Amino acid sequence: MSTHVRHFRSKIPSGVLCSLRLRRTPPLRLASSSLPTRTNAFIAGVDEASLPPPPDASQIRLAVKDNIAAQGLPTTCASRILTGHEVPFTATIVAQIEQLLGAELWGKTNMDEFGMGTHSTNTPYGSVNLLEGRSAGGSSGGSAVAVGLGQATVALGTDTGGSIRMPAAYTNTVGFKPSYGMLSRWGVVPYANSLDTVGLIAKEVAPIQEIIHAVCMDHDPKDPTSLPATVRERCVAERQYYPSSRRTPPDLQSQGLRGLTFGLPIEYNIEELSPRIKEGWMQVADKIKEQGGRVVPVSLPSTKSALSAYYVIAPAEAASNLSKYDGIRYGKRASASASAEDSDTTSSDALNGILYAKTRGEGFGPEVKRRILLGSYTLSSEAVDNYFKQAQRVRRLVRRDFDRVFRLSNPLLENEHGDGSDEQQQFDLSDMDESVPLESKLGPTQIDFLLCPTAPTTPPKLNDVAKQTPFDSYMNDVFTVPASLAGLPAISIPMALPKSEEDPVDFGGVQLIGQFWDDARLLAVAGHVRSKQQ
Amino acid sequence: MSRVPTAALSKYLLQGQVSRQGCLRLTRTPQISARAIALRPAIVSSHSRNLHTQTTETPLSTPSPAPAAPSNHVPLRKQLKDEAKKAKAAGKKKKKNATNQVVPGWELTVGIEIHAQLNTARKLFSEATTSFNDESNSHVAYFDLATPGSQPHFQKETLIPALRAALALNCDIQPVSRFDRKHYFHWDQPSGYQITQYYEPFAREGRIILQPRDGIAAEDGDGLAVRIQQVQMEQDTAKTMAQPGETHWIDFNRTGVPLIEIITRPDIHHPATAAALVRKVQILLNAVDACVSGMEAGGLRADVNVSVRRTDDPNTPLGTRTEIKNLSSFKAVEDAIIAERDRQIAVLEAGGVIEGETRGWSIGSTETRRLRGKEGEVDYRYMPDPDLLPVVIGDDLVSHLRNSMGQLPDAEVDELTEVFGLTAKDALSLVALDSGARVEYFWRVVESLQSKLDSSIAENLACFQMAANWILHELGRLTSNPHDGSAQDLGFTSDGECRRVPVDSLADIIVFLYQHKITTKVAKELLWVVYRGNVPEQYSSVTDAIETENMWFNELSEQEYAELADQAVEDQEDIVGQFVDTSRQYPQGKLMFLVGRMMRLGSEERIDPKNAESVMRRLLEEKYVPALGR
Repeated sequence: MSTHVRHFRSKIPSGVLCSLRLRRTPPLRLASSSLPTRTNAFIAGVDEASLPPPPDASQIRLAVKDNIAAQGLPTTCASRILTGHEVPFTATIVAQIEQLLGAELWGKTNMDEFGMGTHSTNTPYGSVNLLEGRSAGGSSGGSAVAVGLGQATVALGTDTGGSIRMPAAYTNTVGFKPSYGMLSRWGVVPYANSLDTVGLIAKEVAPIQEIIHAVCMDHDPKDPTSLPATVRERCVAERQYYPSSRRTPPDLQSQGLRGLTFGLPIEYNIEELSPRIKEGWMQVADKIKEQGGRVVPVSLPSTKSALSAYYVIAPAEAASNLSKYDGIRYGKRASASASAEDSDTTSSDALNGILYAKTRGEGFGPEVKRRILLGSYTLSSEAVDNYFKQAQRVRRLVRRDFDRVFRLSNPLLENEHGDGSDEQQQFDLSDMDESVPLESKLGPTQIDFLLCPTAPTTPPKLNDVAKQTPFDSYMNDVFTVPASLAGLPAISIPMALPKSEEDPVDFGGVQLIGQFWDDARLLAVAGHVRSKQQ
Repeated sequence: MSRVPTAALSKYLLQGQVSRQGCLRLTRTPQISARAIALRPAIVSSHSRNLHTQTTETPLSTPSPAPAAPSNHVPLRKQLKDEAKKAKAAGKKKKKNATNQVVPGWELTVGIEIHAQLNTARKLFSEATTSFNDESNSHVAYFDLATPGSQPHFQKETLIPALRAALALNCDIQPVSRFDRKHYFHWDQPSGYQITQYYEPFAREGRIILQPRDGIAAEDGDGLAVRIQQVQMEQDTAKTMAQPGETHWIDFNRTGVPLIEIITRPDIHHPATAAALVRKVQILLNAVDACVSGMEAGGLRADVNVSVRRTDDPNTPLGTRTEIKNLSSFKAVEDAIIAERDRQIAVLEAGGVIEGETRGWSIGSTETRRLRGKEGEVDYRYMPDPDLLPVVIGDDLVSHLRNSMGQLPDAEVDELTEVFGLTAKDALSLVALDSGARVEYFWRVVESLQSKLDSSIAENLACFQMAANWILHELGRLTSNPHDGSAQDLGFTSDGECRRVPVDSLADIIVFLYQHKITTKVAKELLWVVYRGNVPEQYSSVTDAIETENMWFNELSEQEYAELADQAVEDQEDIVGQFVDTSRQYPQGKLMFLVGRMMRLGSEERIDPKNAESVMRRLLEEKYVPALGR
């Protein structure tokens, strides 16, 4: 057990722990499902029994995660409580891709209920898998598999703590989470608004790059967290590889990665990291060096607390967001006969129970219930100071860590000097790992990108997943959560793994993380690294 | 004197047109039909009925009341009947409030929370328009229904009335404030939370000065300052309409309508003063055009926190407080506080303990009733709303609003009493009536009178006092006549006009009356003529009506008065005899008797009683009494 998990466990009050250990029920298939599936990638729009042929080169097929609204198809977030629910409008991002690229809406994809999960197994539509019996990652597992199957050219997902990058790593695809505020969330059913980010999955970097180039300057007035046009312009002015960037960027084809520095976060070398993943990671680092890039160790001291902070903030926001599914306006009402059984309860508090408890008890899956309980506790008046507010402080520290290691400054931060200089926040040497060499007397080397694994292991077997405790599965998010907390762009690209007798899976995911709004350069560099891998 | 109405102000503030960039970009508000809303009728189990009866009477979003235990529930009518019976049996007569402000040996402490609907065109977080009694569910945006995937769009314009209210309450406007979610389940709250300002409200640390003329308890002497802890913006909830059987209809037109909540510090120690505070807040909000309607129309609600402690030891901490929710009239505020104070004292004197709990009050009752105890208290689990940006309020906006606020009611009352010599009571009534429209009307009549008289106010003070008197009392009589079937509404507008009695018509009548060109009786008749619409339908103006109907006051000449007086004293030697010796007391009654005879004998419409009196008095002295002696 690594320090992270120990730390996390210590944050959970023991009383809550017990109530959170809900009985695990076997994955459930809809009895009369019209989808006698093998991969369970689609919920609506595509019948897996008679899959159409893959798209030809001229056709762009867009698969959409089931928590993103597309008029004409249901939006259920893979939750029983929203069975058959249709959102009466189309998400901005779906409309953008349809209009700008002439893409065809190709179906709604399976996911962990409301985005809560790491393996796309928390769904009434059957566990998603691409490799027989293996996790496809979560929560955007269906979107990743739709791409992996070749059914969709590109798929939309959402990434709250790794929900795009994790499935990409488990399905040998490319998964990109842009900077927070770049893509509109209008029409995206929220899980944790301050972390939810719409992102893309494809086989290669190029289609993702094309879409980001097309929409990166579009502010959506319907999404209050969409970055305003003026701020976008200010951000882009300091960045390279955007279509509207002023400076001509270095040509990666001819110059390679010369001049770029990649950081390996030493805190990410955890006990749970599989030796093969670690080896693959180091091989990618070697490739980068061959390409002229510089690779240095860096320290992100708040990493240890990031996972705990994430599992306080996300469930808190989730508990709030999911309050609306009470069976009055939203959510399928539990049957009347079932309610009648309890209706002889006389205490005044049970009154609420009669109206809502049954509906919510039946409609939500165990993981969703667990996070609602967790979130309700951490927001309660007795716990909010120690959990929710504390987690927000950790979140700031995580962002500060990133701002200190990146060469580029964070354009959203007020410049303390007010003179537009790129002066960075100083490191406090006392909270930095001693194994990080100093570049100068000012501190260690500053980097352009972080390079780290996406997941600590290869895709686990679904049988093993079923045996995991919730905490084992939370542990999987340890590499993806920090970028989510800081709102930074991050991409997972496939990496080759050394052959192994025990594990036939020969690929993993390696993650590149960039400074805020450095999305275009991140995509360009990821595309280059990916091309040199093949 | 004119105030800038909020609607006009929001047009020229923020660069002449409120920016539609960013979160304010106008989107087509979906017209969601009532049918769509009714898709999932809100059927509730029989258990929720008493919970419901609370909410139907709750136009403002007080946190969802946890239901009263069913066993406690008694229908209102039965409750009132029972209480009346009980009171009769006990031979108990309710003490007058004025003599019931203090219980010897005990100190009462009260803090108040007031919810008021803001006067805005749009909802707090959507482009849907605000409405009153429009077709149900006709002003609803996706966000108002908490449609999954929809997001809030803060409407900047709502800040204008909110800021004016906070400035009128002498608050410090916070440069940065934020919105939080307050969670509780109720069907009138589609998102499962209310968006409010808990951690960082937009205004703090204000105060209200209460004076004796505001109706405070006599025990508060020359007045007091009540501190305002904070003012926050928040959303209203949907309206529940009970239908026969177990059906409830929900109207989402009210969902998300902006409210402000004003929270005072516990600075009040007498029940009447608490009522005076709420009344004053209402007057202030009306005066700065921040509020849609007053308590009578359901636009304002108060919750009061009440505690008592013994006065023998000054170091005693405040007692445990209870909260009485949803008081909807000034009288209810005072009555409920008295009842709750007496209940707490009775419990403590019997050696009991006060529990922190939420209580309710029905109009006309003598006791508060328990709604829920602390153990049933909802933990609202406040959380900053992650979709909403902080609200940043610039100094320029604040100072602009401060400068365009116009006169506040206290200053206005001072001016009315000092410049026009009105009584404090009349001045206060003028300012309070018709949400401030009545006093605005007065100012316009004053303007019109000045132009007609062409001389200073001081020279014609009586004329302006007469105008105030007529505007307060004579106009009121027009609508209080039960035999008049016409609309019982004078139709005052916020810019100081009156539909039924236009400013110019009233000013004409007052000037003619003041200049003795018409009699009081004629003036009152003319007021009816104007009120009934005969001016301008039948007569082009007040003057025309007087001309046509020959109503000018054609007063008797001095000679004619004298002749009339002569007739009046004929055969009245006994009466005249009583004026021989007036050194002890002047026989005023006898004088008026003789004047009355003059009125009867002459043509009344040509007689001014005052002049008749002075003629009679003079002639008695000069002519009739000396004649007796001969």
